[in-house]
Parts: sequence; structure tokens; C-alpha cells
Amino acid sequence: MLFTWFMLAGFIFLFAPQNLTDRFQVAFFRVFQMPLSIGENISLSVRTPRLLSDDTNVVPRREHVKLQNRCADLEAWLRQEHEKLEKLAQLRARLPLEGAALVDAGVLSASFDKLHGELIIDQGRDDGLEKEQFVLADYSIIGRVSSVLSHEARVKLFTNPTSKNIAVNINGTKQFMQGTGDNLAKIPMVRNTVKTDTEIMAARAPGFLDAPMIIGKVVRCERNSESAVLWDIIVKPACDIKHLNSVVVIVMNPQK
Amino acid sequence: MRWFRFALLILFVAVLQASVLANMDVRPDLLLILLVFFAIYCNATEAIITSFAIGFAADLIGSPIPMGPQMLSFGIFGTLLAYLHRVIAIRKMPFQALAIFATTLLAGTFAHFLAFLIKSEPLTLSIFRTLFWMAIYSAIVGPFLFLPSAWWMRIRINRFTRH
Repeated sequence: MLFTWFMLAGFIFLFAPQNLTDRFQVAFFRVFQMPLSIGENISLSVRTPRLLSDDTNVVPRREHVKLQNRCADLEAWLRQEHEKLEKLAQLRARLPLEGAALVDAGVLSASFDKLHGELIIDQGRDDGLEKEQFVLADYSIIGRVSSVLSHEARVKLFTNPTSKNIAVNINGTKQFMQGTGDNLAKIPMVRNTVKTDTEIMAARAPGFLDAPMIIGKVVRCERNSESAVLWDIIVKPACDIKHLNSVVVIVMNPQK
Repeated sequence: MRWFRFALLILFVAVLQASVLANMDVRPDLLLILLVFFAIYCNATEAIITSFAIGFAADLIGSPIPMGPQMLSFGIFGTLLAYLHRVIAIRKMPFQALAIFATTLLAGTFAHFLAFLIKSEPLTLSIFRTLFWMAIYSAIVGPFLFLPSAWWMRIRINRFTRH
């Protein structure tokens, strides 16, 4: 009888609407935020070698990466503005992200293993967030909002194995990038190889992203498994996602 | 059965699994190791309750997988293991390792299958590869964790059945 009651409870959770059951998961991460963050810091400090140098002429690596990403974004926007000028656009051009609100959000929990790539952040619908909005860290795209509660939201990283909805510009064409897990993604079935460390820019997405922004860098090129003449371009994030404490969500045309 | 100690143990292990072990590529499933422990060393009623409770904890930290599949999966396989233990004694460490390996594979596969069927979660080959290595790792590490768990729960593990 006890078994039956517990099975019934399990089925109730299984068939309940996900936005309802998500609250339990988010509540757990909120209540145990401190011990979870302590554990994550222990895990990351064990895996990351410590810097021994405190030379004032040395810029911390994260700051260096942040500035590099900012440079790449500005160069992409400059190229875009040049193209507009060449086309002699009739409409008055807007600066990139001019009409957007940038919402700062703290990271409540994160998972980056082979099967997952997700963050839970502490801003939600009441703060203007909606599904599919782009999320930035260190001036680079890291993913899109996948579900929204009143005060929290889930961000699906572009390295998540189920992520297939981020278009990138490669070799002059637009293609969709697929997450492969383990903090990597691939651009499948590309005609030509791309040099290692080449910057990959996320393409414009009307209503969500009005200018290209850096999303990653090329790690290597592999032969496509289905077609020997095509290549899969393996991409890593442009920032250190594993050490993020906060992110920025792009809210285009926010309602005032 | 000391339920307060059980609750603390499960909370501690859930936090550990969701934080320290979360970013490892291949990691043992500590909650599943505990599932096998309680299924072996508790009576049937306690095994059922602990299996579903551990499954609920696994669901809480199992984001982005929605809640429900792991609670059902752990509950079913924990109960089956508890009844199997009545017929085949799982006393020695090699048998315990085998039980952990089999339970990890079966419970994990069933949970992902339920999530795919009901919640349309993706079911890729990499999931089974990861589950296999998780089962191996858990089977190696699991039997050694039985002793500290038994100490915390004040359960004697050198007897066939517990009083």
C-alpha cells in the first residue's frame, strides 16, 4: 500500500506542469545556495591551477579575455556599420543594443558536464525576462533563456547538448551551432576549415540580438561523420563559464 | 531507523552531489549508492520509504531534467532490490558492487526513458555512455561508503538482517 502511495506521488510529480515542479528545484538551490557555492568553489579550485605571480604589470586572465571579447564585438559592429554605410541605408541606423535593457543576474546554480549545460539565475519574469533572450558574460554570448519563473530563470548554455537555436556567421554564411556537452559546441557540415582560435560571432536575431556578438573560439576542425568532404568546427566559449557568478540578459525593447 | 539522521545524510549527500561532484565529467552517483545501502540493510517498509525519498532528492538536484522520473525509478528499483536481498544475500563487497552497478544502469536508463517519454527530454547515445561510466565509478567507490553510512545511521552491517 505504501509503495502504491509513493508511486502515486511520483506520478503526480511526473505529470504536473513543469513550471510548478521547477519551483521545487529552484527552491532547493535558493535554500542551499551557500553550501552549494562553497562546494562548487572547492571543486573549481581543485581543478584550476592558482596563479603565483602578483606582478602589477600582469593583467588577470579573466580581465584579458573580457577585453579581447569587447574588442571582437566592437570590430564586428564596426564591420556591420561599414556594410550599412555601403548599402546607403535609408533608415536612420541605431547603435547596437541601443534599445536594449541589460539585466544583471546572479548565478544560483550551474551545471556543465557532458549531459547538461545550464545556469539558474536570480532574475525572472517580473524583471522583464522572457524565453529565448540572449545571455552575456564578459561581453560574450553564453546561451539563451530557456524557461522563466517569476523571480528565477533557466539559461541553456550554447554548449548544452540540446542547444540548437543559436545561429552563427561562418565563412560568410549563417549556420546553427549545436552543443556537444563538456563545455564545447560544433558548427556541423561546413565546407572549409577554419583556423584555430578564430572568433565565432553569433548572428543577429531580430527581436533578441540586433548586432553580431562573439560567442566562442575555434578549438579544432573535424571531418563530418556523414560526409567526408565537409567539416565540423568545434567551438569553445569565449569566456570562462565555469567561474561565472553573474551574467547579463539582453532585453530588447523593454516595456517601460 | 533513525529518520532524522537519514534526512541529514540525504541532504548532505545531495548538496555534495550538486556542488563538489557536479562539474566532474565522470562521477559516482552517491545518492544511488545510498539507495542500494538502505535497500540491503533495512527492512522492506523502510527500504521503500528511503528509496522514494532518495529519488525525490535526486529529482531536486537533477535539473534540467524535470521532477518525477528519478523518484519513480529509484523507488521501483530500490524496492525490487530490497525484495531481491531477501532471496539472494548481498553481503560481500563484490556482490554489493555488482548490485550498485546494475541498479545505477537500470535506474538511470529508466529515469531518462521516462523523462524522454513524458517530458520529451532528449535521449542521446552520450547519456548511456555517461551512465555506464557512472555505474562503473559508483560500483568501485560504493561498497567503501557503506561503512561510514552504517556508522552514521547506527546500523550493524555484519549481520544478514537488521533488528
